[in-house]
Amino acid sequence: MVTIGWRLRRLAQALFTVWAVITLSFAMIRLMPGNAMGAMMVRFEQQGMSPARARELVELRLSLDPDKPIHTAYVEYVLNTLQGDLGTSVFHNEPVVDLLAAALPWTLFVLSWSIFISFFIGIAAGALMAYWEGGKLDVGLTSWAVLMGSIPFYVLAILLLIFASYRWGIFPSGGRQPTGVEAGFNITYIRGILYHATLPVLSMLVASGVASLGMRGNSIRVLGSDYLRVARLRGLSDYTISTQYVARNAVLPMYTTLLISIGEMFGGSIVLEYVFNYRGLGLLLYEAFNQRDYPLMMGGFVLITIAVVIALLIADMTYSWVDPRAGGQNSDSY
Amino acid sequence: MTTSQSTSLDDPTAADPVVEIRNATVRFGMERGESRVLDDVSLDLERNEIFGVVGESGSGKSMLASAMLDAVVEPGILDGSITYRPEAGDPIDVLGLTTNELRTFRWEEIAMVFQGAMSSFNPVRKIDTHFVETLSAHDYDVDEGMERARGLISDLYMDPERVLDSYPHELSGGMKQRTLIALSLILEPDVLVMDEPTAALDLLMQRSIVSLIEEIKEEYDLTILFITHDLPLVADLADRIAVMYAFEFVELGPTEEILQHASHPYTRLLLKSTPNLASPIEAMRPIEGSAPDPVNVPSGCSFHLRCPLADEQCVEVDPEAYSVSDSSVSVTGSDSDSDLSPDSDATSIPNSDAGDHVANCHYWEDAPETIPMTEEWDVEGIDAIDSAPGPSRTADPLVSMEDVEVHFETEGSFLDFFSEPDTVQAVDGISLDIYENDVVVLVGESGCGKTTFGKTAVGLQEPTDGAVKYRGQDIWDLKRSGGDGTMSFDTVRRALQIVHQDPGSALNAHRRVGTSLEVPLKRWNPELDGNDRKSRIVSLLEHVGMSPAEDYIDRYPHQLSGGEQQRVALIRAMLMNPDLILADEPVSALDVSLRVEMMDLMIELQEQFDTSYLFVSHDLSNARYIAEKTGGRIGVVYLGELVEIGRPEEIIHDPQHPYTQALRWATPEPDFEGGGMGGESPIREIDVPDPTDPPSGCRYHTRCPEAREVCTREHPEPNEASAAAYHEAACFRTDDHHEYWNSPSITDGGD
Ligand code: SF4
Ligand code: SF4
Repeated sequence: MVTIGWRLRRLAQALFTVWAVITLSFAMIRLMPGNAMGAMMVRFEQQGMSPARARELVELRLSLDPDKPIHTAYVEYVLNTLQGDLGTSVFHNEPVVDLLAAALPWTLFVLSWSIFISFFIGIAAGALMAYWEGGKLDVGLTSWAVLMGSIPFYVLAILLLIFASYRWGIFPSGGRQPTGVEAGFNITYIRGILYHATLPVLSMLVASGVASLGMRGNSIRVLGSDYLRVARLRGLSDYTISTQYVARNAVLPMYTTLLISIGEMFGGSIVLEYVFNYRGLGLLLYEAFNQRDYPLMMGGFVLITIAVVIALLIADMTYSWVDPRAGGQNSDSY
Repeated sequence: MTTSQSTSLDDPTAADPVVEIRNATVRFGMERGESRVLDDVSLDLERNEIFGVVGESGSGKSMLASAMLDAVVEPGILDGSITYRPEAGDPIDVLGLTTNELRTFRWEEIAMVFQGAMSSFNPVRKIDTHFVETLSAHDYDVDEGMERARGLISDLYMDPERVLDSYPHELSGGMKQRTLIALSLILEPDVLVMDEPTAALDLLMQRSIVSLIEEIKEEYDLTILFITHDLPLVADLADRIAVMYAFEFVELGPTEEILQHASHPYTRLLLKSTPNLASPIEAMRPIEGSAPDPVNVPSGCSFHLRCPLADEQCVEVDPEAYSVSDSSVSVTGSDSDSDLSPDSDATSIPNSDAGDHVANCHYWEDAPETIPMTEEWDVEGIDAIDSAPGPSRTADPLVSMEDVEVHFETEGSFLDFFSEPDTVQAVDGISLDIYENDVVVLVGESGCGKTTFGKTAVGLQEPTDGAVKYRGQDIWDLKRSGGDGTMSFDTVRRALQIVHQDPGSALNAHRRVGTSLEVPLKRWNPELDGNDRKSRIVSLLEHVGMSPAEDYIDRYPHQLSGGEQQRVALIRAMLMNPDLILADEPVSALDVSLRVEMMDLMIELQEQFDTSYLFVSHDLSNARYIAEKTGGRIGVVYLGELVEIGRPEEIIHDPQHPYTQALRWATPEPDFEGGGMGGESPIREIDVPDPTDPPSGCRYHTRCPEAREVCTREHPEPNEASAAAYHEAACFRTDDHHEYWNSPSITDGGD
């Protein structure tokens, strides 16, 4: 039995995670031995700045004041972060927020296509497999799905890069937009964008393997259920049965899988964008890492965490709306 | 009555059969060989009769239901013929219908209600869409049909608007089952096939539904085929009964005939093995052996391996239907060795005269003598319950519960963050002491809190108020304080064990039986070495009838039958050397004929291991059996309160609380003497009130036939209910001087 306002608790949990991430990033910057602040100070001083000037710069960059007592600095940092002030990138010398905002749409673009196509393929394949359970198609697709499910996406990415790009030259090996075309709402540009996004999106399709196996299992379960048998006896049309009975009940549990995979894909985008040299959030963070650009690193870290937390929160909160069963129960079980 | 052995379909000898089944056989090709899960069954269903089919699980009774609608699941193959005769119009050859005709035929002419009402509705769609889609699939007028649906639902004592607007999971089991009945009648069929329609429900609901079925049948002019494992239940309802064993009918006749002059040894043994309230417990005996495998049905009479009367002839010659009502034996054209070819098989074509009683047994005449129903207990019989002495309840209690409360909070609706959550008062102020070697059986309907209370007693559920004490120590204090040296929470955990209703879930699926049983032994008897442990386990397994034990030790749980899993779970609990075992519906998942055996085993183990039991059950006959054999008590729980407690003598024969009386009424009894038991339903409402908002005053007043005005205001406390020891009830009627007796009745204006 679920107890008091789990939604409230779930919300509190999400807020706690966000707070924990912000605190952790503060700690990394400020408290860790060899911490970001110290490292930056050293770097500026090496560049021949006076300690006072270096200090001033650090303060500006990290949006925290090294001289303030730690608790005041902490409160300020949290407040700044919550207001969207994530400091200034050392390398780019631009506000972190602006950098992230410029990169994010590209990543979201690849991710949303990946997710959409993977789940579309996964659900369709799973349904076919279940329908001909045990047949040739089922066996074939199952092996394919298991294979997809067990390859890490970056291996697929590298294979695609080697073959589709270097060997056969079908797709570009990197970049996110066509060169020499004016950015804007015109066919050439949009085609160029899609063209550049193809390989990253294809690499992420490994997710469809897992999705199709999940869908297959769900469908088989629904096909064997009592309510399906009763529906058939009641003489419902095949159309009603396949859409309202099988599809709805089999796709529903996929909803959570979908939102969870959003989180996973965000994490994966760092490696993916590096492999394809695709200038999105992932590549930005990767570079920040190499350049010890702490403000940018921490900013990206916070942003990704918040995105994942929100995705999961939405999944949980809306599930009871998508699936009526997740709501209250009757009392037969006491 | 001696005539009509006719098998010809064109010769309607029956007064007015609505369905004629001839030689229906269902085969499955399996690796091990062909299996016949319905073996040459023939039956005439009279228009407007209720025909009961009784059989244990695996007897083929559900196949018969599927066959009626030509809905045998693939790859099963149905042969024979099924003719449906509508009131007006030509007979329909059901097995000859095309797919489309069949789609129309089902539900419009013959509809079906399954046991799986819990899962017969699409979980993501509201109830009303189920009605609407059925109506439109059959091109019925939807508005008119929904009007009918509302009528049906209110005839089944539910609020149509509420039910139609609910999702399936929002209805209780009993409501779902009744809604399914309404759904099956929405297209006004002539025949309703009900396959175990009440099996998953508690007794009071079962009985309420059975009385409703009678009303519904009259009102909607139905013919009903009622399939069940529960002979006493259907006995109350059916005009005729057929008993199935090994995929065929072994006895068929009018209900009274079957009950009073059961002539097939299996029927007699089945009647005797069913726990009930009327016969002395010594008369309840399990049937030895187990039902045959469909691939390998014994030759001759399929019952000969288990039959006390079996002889040479039974092994060789398959008995045909002998007419019982008239002792002339009809041996028309019986080929011996008839088992090989289905065509020459002697079959039981029931005489279409409904007065006929047939039994497929060569020695039906001797059966009553060899298998007497009441044996020598005859005289003391029914009213002289005399339970075992039971423990002395004077020493300190083993586990004592003081005013225990368990309140659950339920969640609100979507995005409903701040509203007050509803509180379910699953247990509300129960006090109970359990002593050494004591047995308490808690009975009550689903949702009354008995399981939660049981879990609280063994420390699996923390009470929100009140105390649970083990040998005087509050166990939850103990958990928080970490123990005081003399006792730790761990000791308590070991001393209080649970055996679940579903034994499969309690055993680790990846562990062999031997390994599962070794774990507790290693932990609690570290002095034993490997060989000692093994021999201990072997002897226990043999003791509970699982031999050769060496063979069982190496099996995984899924290789055991339900009863065997239950035994392993029980042994495992016993090996912890517990002081108290909570057994949650330990036999309700078993076939009726196995229940007595399992209960006997539990009682025997209790003596051997010196434990106490807390049973939870919805079945008063099982409760009585256990409590009477062990000298225990029965506690009746209603909406989180203990409303009556006492020894079985009092609870069964002198119940004081009106709710206990209702449970008593709901317990079906095979009536050997003839004459109905039944009677009017003693409850005013079928459904249990919403536990988040229990009625004021006496919680039973909304259903109580004796309720008076004071009951709506004041809450009755447990009170001495009779002169007998340990007998208490929480009802004003136990107090001769209570203002209740002057208070006006509130039942007249009600329904
Ligand atoms: S025919 Fe023989 S074996 Fe079969 S039930 Fe009768 S006596 Fe028993
Ligand atoms: S107190 Fe009143 S309502 Fe309650 S059980 Fe007794 S008579 Fe019925």
